[in-house]
Parts: sequence; C-alpha cells; structure tokens
Amino acid sequence: MIAALSGAFDDISKAIRLHRVWIALAHEDIGDQHRRTTLGPLWMLVNYFAFVGTFVFVFVTKDAINPSYIAYVAIGMLVWFYLNETISVSVSLFQREASFIQGTTLPLFVYVMRLTMQCVIRAAYSMAGCVLILLLSGYGTNMNWLFSVPGLLLIILATPAFVVVFAFLGAFFPDSEFIVGNMMRVGMFFTPVFWVYSGQEGVQKYAYHWNPFTYFLESVREPITAGTFPMHALAVTGYFCLGLWALALLLLGLYRKRIVFLI
Amino acid sequence: MTAIKLNNVSLVYRLFEKLTLSAPGRRRSALGGNIASSGTKQVVQALDDVSFELKAGDRLGLVGPNGSGKTTLLKVLYGIYQPSAGTISIAGKVDALFNISIGFRPEATGRRNIVLRGLISGWTAAEIEEKMEEIIDFSELGDFIDLPFKAYSQGMAARLAFAAATALEPEILLMDEWIGAGDASFQEKAKRRMDELAEKAGIIVLASHDDTLIQRVCTKRMVLKNGRVESLT
Repeated sequence: MIAALSGAFDDISKAIRLHRVWIALAHEDIGDQHRRTTLGPLWMLVNYFAFVGTFVFVFVTKDAINPSYIAYVAIGMLVWFYLNETISVSVSLFQREASFIQGTTLPLFVYVMRLTMQCVIRAAYSMAGCVLILLLSGYGTNMNWLFSVPGLLLIILATPAFVVVFAFLGAFFPDSEFIVGNMMRVGMFFTPVFWVYSGQEGVQKYAYHWNPFTYFLESVREPITAGTFPMHALAVTGYFCLGLWALALLLLGLYRKRIVFLI
Repeated sequence: MTAIKLNNVSLVYRLFEKLTLSAPGRRRSALGGNIASSGTKQVVQALDDVSFELKAGDRLGLVGPNGSGKTTLLKVLYGIYQPSAGTISIAGKVDALFNISIGFRPEATGRRNIVLRGLISGWTAAEIEEKMEEIIDFSELGDFIDLPFKAYSQGMAARLAFAAATALEPEILLMDEWIGAGDASFQEKAKRRMDELAEKAGIIVLASHDDTLIQRVCTKRMVLKNGRVESLT
C-alpha cells in the first residue's frame, strides 16, 4: 500500500514538473476543436448561453422572472456542465492517449492534467457567460460572491481525482463509457441543476440529500443565491474529495504501469 | 560513460480480461505464439531471458519476424515496459523514435510541432529556441515549416521527426523501422547524423526488417525469435 502511494506521488510530482507539456497540449486541444470557425473558443460561451437561455424560458414559471431563479439555473448549469464533461470524457482518456502512452515515458498524470486543464479552460468561457447572465438579470455583485471561491477551488481540486478514477474505470471496463454517459445524461434530472428543492418528499428529497453533486453545486451557488457561507455543502464536498483522492491515488499507484498493456 | 547492460531480462504480462458485458467466449484471445495459459490467466511471454551489453559507439540492429520482440525490447530499453525479471542498467540520456506522428499535431505548423515535441522530450524553452533553426535546416522543409503538419508527405514528416529527435544529440537513440522513410538523399543525411551520434560516444539501437539498412547503419546484429535472442553478431 505504501509502495503504491509512493509510486502515485512520484508520478504526480513528475507530471507537475512537466506542467509546460500539459498546459501546451491542452491549449492546442482547445484550439484544434475550434480551428477554422469564425467565433473560435467563443462557441463555448454561445453554447452556454443557449442552454441556460433555453432552460430559463422553457421552465417559465412565476419564479422565472425572479433574478434569483435565473442565477440558480446559470450557476447550476455552470457547475453541472463542468462535472458532466469532466466525468464523461475521462472514461475514454487512456484509449485516446494510447499512442502517447505506448510511445513515450511521460507520467500517466500528465494526461490527467491535460484533460483537467482543457476542462478548466472550457469552464472559464462558461463562467464568463455566467457572470454576464447574473449581471444582465439584474443580480448585482456583492461581497457574498467571494464565498463561492472555496467551492470553486474544491471542484477544481477534485477534478484530477475524478479524471483518474473514471479513466481507470474506462480502461478496465470499456462498457462503462456508455453506461457513464447515459448516467450523466439522466443524472442532470436527479441533481438540483434547474429544479429547486423546497422540502418536498419522495424522489426529489433523496435526489437532493443523497446526491454528492448537489453539494458541489450548492457550495458555489448558495453564497450567490442565498447570500450565506455554504458550510455544510463545503464540508460534504471536502469529505467527498478526500475519499475520491484516496481512491485515485490507490488506482494510480497500483495500476499505472499496467495501463500500457490494457489499452 | 554511455552503456546498456541487460541481464536475463524477461517480460511476461498478463492479458487482462476486461470487465465486459460481451459473451464469455468472446472475451479472450486464442492461445498460440507467445500467448500461453497460466492457471486461469492468459499471459504473453514477450521477452525471454535476454542478455546483452552495448558500449559507447555501438550501433545494434534488431532483426526478426513480426512478433519476435524487437519493438518490445526497444520499449523496455526506453522504460515504457518494466521487465518482469532480470536487470537493466542504462547509463546515458535516451531518446526514441517509435512512431513518426507521436507528439505531432496535424493542425499545428511544423514550427509549433517542434516546440511541442521538445516539451514532450523534456527540453527547456532555451534548448527549443536554440535548436529550432537547426532542426528546420536539417529537415529541409523550407517554407513548409509554417504550414500545418497534415500537409506534409510521409517523407517530410519523417524528416521533421528525425531532425527533432536527434537535435539534442541523445546519448542513446532507439529507433523502430521507419527510418527507411524519406528519399535516398535524406537517408544518406540521416545515416551521417547517426554516424556522428555514434562517434560522439553514443549508442544506437535500430529495429528493422530491412537487412540492407541494418548492414548499412549498424555495427552489431541481434536476431530475435519468440522473444529470445537467437544470435548476436
């Protein structure tokens, strides 16, 4: 166990030293995805606007004219899209990087950080859109917004662990790519991304309280929509991150040298 | 002092039975060749008791039929595969050319690809800057260097890959087959550079099916069969 953890930390520290590699590759990835388009990466901003706008208009209720509902959906979508994309693309990470893994001696964590970086860059465009929506909907800025920073940092900190766990899952269990994809699509409806929980019983109660994604969302959203410090959400998210990182380190330590034979 | 020493190196790896929803009969490959059964598991004996020693200036050619272990041995030397038995001792900075396209992005220009290839090989920004023009000159790409990599012919891609891989003068260079790409004049130029590398106390290990290439470039020849060394001359 100690040898496995030490191997994992060794892989991570080598990858951190090679930060210029994964930062450059992630920028190239984003550039390639939007090459020859007029708007370039701004398409990510447009996509975000289109989704949030659709949800706000489709779920038009008496709440929809309330700026706090628009903020609720905008922040919910921002965090959910980030987590959804991270998890969905992680499952096939090692297969996509097969030629690099079989042809170079780069630490495995370099690929994890390359994907993390890509997801963060994409989310930065969505975040710009989110801030714009909050301002346009008349939701003025205030100091409470700063309470969202710990939640955002925790989410970014959890990202490499999410990537490692789901990338190993995809390597050992190839069907998981489709299972996870479907679960994430359905998962959006079981997570309070656009629906508001106000003490209802039944499925919504369990979907709210027993869904870890709820706490990821609330740790960022609560300070802005409710103006409070999200102590409970941050605590649950923090414990979840610790567990996720423990699993990720174990997987990385035990199986990183075997991945080359698996893909 | 640049040197490679392998003592009784074997590589046996288990064919992982992936968790899958497919029918049990379709999960495993057929036995045969280097694939054997060990209890309930399938294992591949990729290298079997390989021992040899190379010193500065040696150029080893690996020959053998497909599946004999040439590429596997190169990957063990590079550190991609960990041997399951035996010891390896390598003294010197190693670089490898296994696949022309590794580290090259089709949409990026040749110039940008040199930067990326350098980063992947662990070069510093100063080293990349310093070697840029030399790589462009050696690859003879001229104005093509500012066009996307996808516009290059296979020969042009090979020239760029070779120029980048040898620019920092690795002490040990591992190459798999493809050096035969490119026209005759470039091959001659590549051979001269390999001669220079070897003369600067380097070691070259080249795997190829082309006996003429091996004879032209290498000073030693190792024949591999089913992962074992059949002869070393």
